[in-house]
Amino acid sequence: MRKANLGVAIFLFLLGALVMYDSVRLGFRWQPGFGPGAGYLPFYLSLGVLICTGIFIVKQIRQLSKVGIVGDKRLIQEGGLKPILWVLLPSTAMVILTSILGLHFAAFVFLLFYMRAVGKIGWLECSLVSVLFPILMYIVFDRLFLIPLPDGMLGAYIKLPF
Amino acid sequence: MAENFHNLMMGISVSMQPYNFMIAMIGLVLGVIVGVLPGLGGANGVAILIPLTVAMQPISGIILLASIYWGALYGGSITSILFNIPGEPWSVATTFDGYPMAKQGHAGRALVLSFFSHFVGAVLGVIMLSFFAPVIANFALRFGPAEIFSVMVLTFSAFVGLGGKDPLKTCVSIFLGFILSAVGMDIVTGQLRLTFGSIDLMGGFNFIVAVIGLFGLGEIFLTVEEGLKLDSTAGGKVTFKDMAWGVKELLIEWKSLLLGCVIGCWMGLKPGGATPASFMAYGFAKQGHKKSQEFGHGASAGIIAPEAAAHGAGTSAALPMITLGIPGSPTMAVIMGGLMIFGLLPGPMLFREHADFVWGFIGSCWIGNFIGLVVVLAFAPIFAAVLKIRFAIIMPIIVYVCAVGAYAVNNRMIDIYYMIGFGVVGYLFKKLDYPLAPLVLALVLGDMAESALRQALLISGGNPIVLFQPPIALPIMVAAIIIFFWPTISGIIKKRRMKVGPG
Repeated sequence: MRKANLGVAIFLFLLGALVMYDSVRLGFRWQPGFGPGAGYLPFYLSLGVLICTGIFIVKQIRQLSKVGIVGDKRLIQEGGLKPILWVLLPSTAMVILTSILGLHFAAFVFLLFYMRAVGKIGWLECSLVSVLFPILMYIVFDRLFLIPLPDGMLGAYIKLPF
Repeated sequence: MAENFHNLMMGISVSMQPYNFMIAMIGLVLGVIVGVLPGLGGANGVAILIPLTVAMQPISGIILLASIYWGALYGGSITSILFNIPGEPWSVATTFDGYPMAKQGHAGRALVLSFFSHFVGAVLGVIMLSFFAPVIANFALRFGPAEIFSVMVLTFSAFVGLGGKDPLKTCVSIFLGFILSAVGMDIVTGQLRLTFGSIDLMGGFNFIVAVIGLFGLGEIFLTVEEGLKLDSTAGGKVTFKDMAWGVKELLIEWKSLLLGCVIGCWMGLKPGGATPASFMAYGFAKQGHKKSQEFGHGASAGIIAPEAAAHGAGTSAALPMITLGIPGSPTMAVIMGGLMIFGLLPGPMLFREHADFVWGFIGSCWIGNFIGLVVVLAFAPIFAAVLKIRFAIIMPIIVYVCAVGAYAVNNRMIDIYYMIGFGVVGYLFKKLDYPLAPLVLALVLGDMAESALRQALLISGGNPIVLFQPPIALPIMVAAIIIFFWPTISGIIKKRRMKVGPG
């Protein structure tokens, strides 16, 4: 946990530096006859991030060098990483698939895969849920409320027949 | 006063119209389901449904969104009591005493106590909303940009000083939220900020997408990591006998009830929301109680206080949102985002220009919370059964629904990618104890805060003293500074007292 804390703080510090760089480019000073430049607020925000994370990093390093990582809790508890990845990776795959197949078909694949591979749920239940639920969403969003959901590249070719 | 009462009656009649009434029912049922399911919380439940409200009248839209919130507030405690699984963060404190009571075979009693306390908390919150909102809005009409900015500073300093998290991390969260809101086109100069040449970043970050990712996916990651252990007790049927017992118990424990309500309303006003309110109320109720050793083993007061506080905070969070445009809880922030989509900018002018809308909303708070009580009392076992559906079925559906919601906000594919990214960030931040609420609030208020600051500086010709001008901005800023340093100040006061000693 302490190492992760330090890592995240360093990442945020770098992010702050990046923001500061851009706000200096935009002009953070008072521009005569115009007022505060576009980078005015972002500059002070990034300054705040740099100061806060800076203090935090120094504190963390001191603590780490003093006590080390003895008695520290793990960031992800024992055996916790696997189920998280089992959610994260298929979800990401679904999003990528969305841009090809459209959201509803990607969701069908995702639902079927997750329930079958992770949940070990019977084929009948799997196929029922993964077919009916996207159809329900399609009817509610695309048809009833006229909010088009992403079709993907093949959207023009594969369409629900209603 | 008489005029307000008249307006309130009008508002209630608006929300009693058959269509709006039906919308409220749908919202409440959806809300309770959202509340029961871990991983799907009030904030992102509302966020997902915002796109659907665009097709409705503004008043019906806000009734739907608000009803989901009320439903979620009620619903979170059902699973806390029956399964020891808090459906919502604000019902964690309910597991301490609600689950033990259910285990002793009094699940019905625990549910009744929790729902009744919710209702009392809600009523107090709504009374405050009905009678103080017009006063505050009237006062806030005198606010200029400097005053608006000072109120925002007060809001965020409350997170740092009273939030109870590491102040450094809270500050970082706030700054990050503002930075995210600055990405994209600058509304004043038209320059592109922080886009680094990327076209996708030009559109900026929508906070609804952020909410769905941070609270939705982040919560799912946490849930699957810990694994969901169903530890079922009784079915949760509520009888009239339980209800009679509940009323009696509430009257006996009136002190805890009142304590919960007061803490809830206070926490709702100063942005903190329902979650810290429920913990705080539990702590205070335990401290001051005669039978404090019974807490944790099914004490009635241990259910009453946090539940009343949670719902009190939830409803009173509408007060600063509707009068000042500063939401008192993350879910209220999302509801406010919905209002902005309708082109209604919350703030003092809303009372003047759209009085019928505001009073319709307040009226619906009365009606919604009342129907909510009836719905959960009657159907608690059915809602509890939702959790018996295997998590491997519910989880991918939640992810899918989140993706639909994230996309439908702006019809942008990139938003779904952002959602996944925010999900990972949400998980990390939760684990490392960075508070998420200030980040979301900063993302919502970012543009407003920046334009207020810029206008104030333009008026004064660049002199920052304008932010401290009397008579309104100065005391607010002083209060903000005191609250910001409150942990240090209260520490010093304690030390002084120790030095002087007793006598």
